[in-house]
Amino acid sequence: MSAVLEARGITKHYGHVEALADANFDVQAGEVVALIGDNGAGKSTLVRILSGAEPADSGEILFDGRPVHLSSPTDARALGMETVFQDLALAPHLSPVQNMYLGREVMRNGLLGKLGFMDAKSMRDGSRAAFDRLGATVRNLNGPVGSMSGGQRQGIAVARAAAWAQKVIFLDEPTAALGVVQTQNVLELVRRVSGEGIGVVFISHSMPHVMEVADRIQVMWRGRRVATYNKADTSMEQLVSAMTGALAQEAS
Amino acid sequence: MKRKSTVIVAVLAAVALGAAACGSDSDGGSNAGGGSDGYELAFVQGVAGDAFYITMECGIKEEAAKQGATVTVQGAQKFDPTLQTPVLQSVIASKPDAILIAPTDVAAMQQPIAQAKAQGIKIVLVDTTLNDPSVAVSAISSDNSAGGKAAFEAIQKLAPNGGKVLGVGVQPGISTTDARDKGFADAAKADSKFTYLGVQYSQNDPAKAASIVSAALQKDPDIVGIFASNLFSAQGSATGIRQAGKQGQVNVVGFDAGPEQIKALQDGTVQALIAQQPGDIGVQGVQQAVKALKGEANEANIQTGSTIITKDTIDSPEGKAAAYKASC
Amino acid sequence: MSATQTTPTVATEDAPASRLSRISRLQALQILILLVVTIAVFTALRPDTFLTGFNIRGIVQNTAIYAVLGVGMTFVIITGGIDLSVGSVLVFSGVVADKVMVWYGGQGWATVLVGLVAALASGLAWGLVNGVLVAKAKVPPLVVTLGSLSAALGFAQIITKGLDLRDAPQALVNDIGFGNIVGQVPTIAVVAAVVVVFGIVLLHRTRFGLYTYAIGSNAEAGRRSGVKVERHLIKVYAFAGLLAGFAGLLNLGFFQSTTIGGQSNTPLNVIAGVAIGGTSLFGGIGSVFGTVIGLFIPIVLQNGFIQVGVQPFWQQVVVGAVLVAVVYVDQLRRAAALRGTSPRLPFLSRAGGAGSASRKGSA
Ligand SMILES: Nc1ncnc2c1ncn2[C@@H]1O[C@H](COP(=O)(O)OP(=O)(O)OP(=O)(O)O)[C@@H](O)[C@H]1O
Ligand SMILES: [Mg+2]
Repeated sequence: MSAVLEARGITKHYGHVEALADANFDVQAGEVVALIGDNGAGKSTLVRILSGAEPADSGEILFDGRPVHLSSPTDARALGMETVFQDLALAPHLSPVQNMYLGREVMRNGLLGKLGFMDAKSMRDGSRAAFDRLGATVRNLNGPVGSMSGGQRQGIAVARAAAWAQKVIFLDEPTAALGVVQTQNVLELVRRVSGEGIGVVFISHSMPHVMEVADRIQVMWRGRRVATYNKADTSMEQLVSAMTGALAQEAS
Repeated sequence: MKRKSTVIVAVLAAVALGAAACGSDSDGGSNAGGGSDGYELAFVQGVAGDAFYITMECGIKEEAAKQGATVTVQGAQKFDPTLQTPVLQSVIASKPDAILIAPTDVAAMQQPIAQAKAQGIKIVLVDTTLNDPSVAVSAISSDNSAGGKAAFEAIQKLAPNGGKVLGVGVQPGISTTDARDKGFADAAKADSKFTYLGVQYSQNDPAKAASIVSAALQKDPDIVGIFASNLFSAQGSATGIRQAGKQGQVNVVGFDAGPEQIKALQDGTVQALIAQQPGDIGVQGVQQAVKALKGEANEANIQTGSTIITKDTIDSPEGKAAAYKASC
Repeated sequence: MSATQTTPTVATEDAPASRLSRISRLQALQILILLVVTIAVFTALRPDTFLTGFNIRGIVQNTAIYAVLGVGMTFVIITGGIDLSVGSVLVFSGVVADKVMVWYGGQGWATVLVGLVAALASGLAWGLVNGVLVAKAKVPPLVVTLGSLSAALGFAQIITKGLDLRDAPQALVNDIGFGNIVGQVPTIAVVAAVVVVFGIVLLHRTRFGLYTYAIGSNAEAGRRSGVKVERHLIKVYAFAGLLAGFAGLLNLGFFQSTTIGGQSNTPLNVIAGVAIGGTSLFGGIGSVFGTVIGLFIPIVLQNGFIQVGVQPFWQQVVVGAVLVAVVYVDQLRRAAALRGTSPRLPFLSRAGGAGSASRKGSA
């Protein structure tokens, strides 16, 4: 049981703010890890660093046990890691299909493809399948996502990450704006994806959801991991007290 | 929302229509006025809103009224062939009998003006000209060389003892200002009491003119006269003289007599102005156009003179008549 | 624990068009209507002169060079940028092309071809300079292109000592500048139309166009999706420069002069056309077709006003009012349709959003 992705001693400063202070993290293949912590604990920062969207100041990232350098999101994606960022990272003027395939368009065959023409039909079919699998209520595949509801947008972002992930998927508060049914769909998706052997990193402020899907729970406080629990061995009370900083030392 | 934008579009259309309608009313319209045999003339200025062209327009309108012709006046917002071309094209499309035009470029305006001729419209070139002026029935312009000579005569009067004189030009290659500079240089060289220091170019930038003049005064503190062959050169020259602390000792002669130049003369920043006769150019332009339309013989080249205005003559009838107008 | 509850939520469906795309189509339609109405009004006022072959030909000719520039400008503005340098780059490219053609000699097509290469290369070079400064050095596009506006013109003046060059070969002047391809159809307009169609296909059908929209919409999202934002921005500015270079050659053919003293209003006129045409200065929205209509409107207005004898200054007032009104209407509609766009004009800020990445991410 070795970690598919592991981070050691990650630090990150924004000016004088220390967003991450020697943070550790790990997720194994086929496992759901919940990453929890108070607002500003550093969860999103860690996700951005592990998905290549931002560089760390220092620290080491291991993928399948080998050190890797993630200089851009493309690097992370090449390794099979996908992310639903907290701000979703959708282009509001583009359609769900265009967002779904942005950066990895399906090109037409032959010369037309070489000239930059895209295969609109196959991208549309692929998107529809991905949305349907999630039960995402995307009513209109052509409209700009900027004119859609927050939940619809979140659905699109989640569907996109799920469709492409091979090894690891980060979900930074993926259910914050979702309705009851869609939330259940996402939790279902989390289980299904992990069932396929993908490591899932699930960030949420909802303890019931965390307890529902997580195999392990890692707690962050002020830029570092302060505790790691197996779900079976912990309780909501324990998690809450860890999140408030009652344990300053990493316990494991 | 949708209704609102539709309303706005409708209003826009109405505005366009209204402006068009009242414009054509107030201007008499190109095909509304005119007597039984009244010719329709069009005047395309080098640039709209310039006193030189407005004065020319006044001359044109005056003479056209005498001849029983109607005139429409159009001009682009800058002295720029890329802007004048569409204006001219629209004027041609409105099918006047003759066009008086001040071409903004000797080459660029050649083809567009040739198109007018191809439509059977008589062309008269006013002030500026073309590489091949034969498309026009007549080309009327100021005698710029004589204007430069007049500038030197003004300095002779202002500094009767002679001395060093300098030219501040715009930039080489402009036919009109080149001719002025040359006329000035030739006249200065011909008078043994004066030493001609050559011409330097301000690139139409007053700051550059100022630095040229203050540097020249460092080198030759005894300069008595400067001929600045356009407005900005004159403004900058005056500044340069002030920087060198030589006010009252160096005479600046400027060219043209628009409201700004007249003000400079009144203020004492320049001591004399060489006024062209744009009104006269306009009058003669109309005469030539009408002659051509009547099938009479034309004069292919006409040159008009210039007037020296000084502080002493500025309020005299001649001075007043020579000053350019801001409106007719 | 199996996927039993693939819930019967409303499935995806392909509505023909959403609100926003319907609206942008509506926008193109509305300005098309505005253009048609304008033409109708002037035709009614001047039935014998306005809708004549000569006049239509003239209007189309006068729009052609702007249209070539407008294609590139549309791409740049869709990325949220702006290019003020097109007029100067046009002049610079014309100067270089003129010099090269004189050096090569001759009046025929071979000379024109050599000039074409020179003009395209000069335009491309300036476009690359703009692109690199915007994308890599993160200087705001307004500042970068204001700088190259001045520098390109300066170089043109240095090369020519400020005097216009007038050595366009006969083939360029007679066949392209003032020639007709068939009957009374001006070659220069056909050439411009080809560029426009190319621009439309590139923008709406290819990945290049998609990335252009994506960057203007949310550059950081593009970056996180694997779009090489900086490289694409460079390409977009290079494309605009290339077209400005091409326009430089057309300009040389049309005016038989490098028009060094002219073209100062060109970038603003082109930007006005792009804006009237429904391309958002905030980026992310726009069309080449709209730009072409948007360029026609001021030219047709001016033409019509001249024919009915409106004073020159009133023409400017009306054209200005039309610009503001059309964009205002557009803005109203868009504000209702798409919330959450940045209230700041993006070309005043650093490019590509890369600099603000972390802040966006932290919400
Ligand atoms: N771009 C930035 N510039 C400055 N400070 C930042 C930036 N991004 C994050 N921070 C700071 O880093 C710290 C960690 O932020 P982060 O977004 O990672 O927290 P989080 O755990 O995701 O919180 P939340 O639960 O509210 O999403 C906070 O103090 C935050 O203010
Ligand atoms: Mg967060």
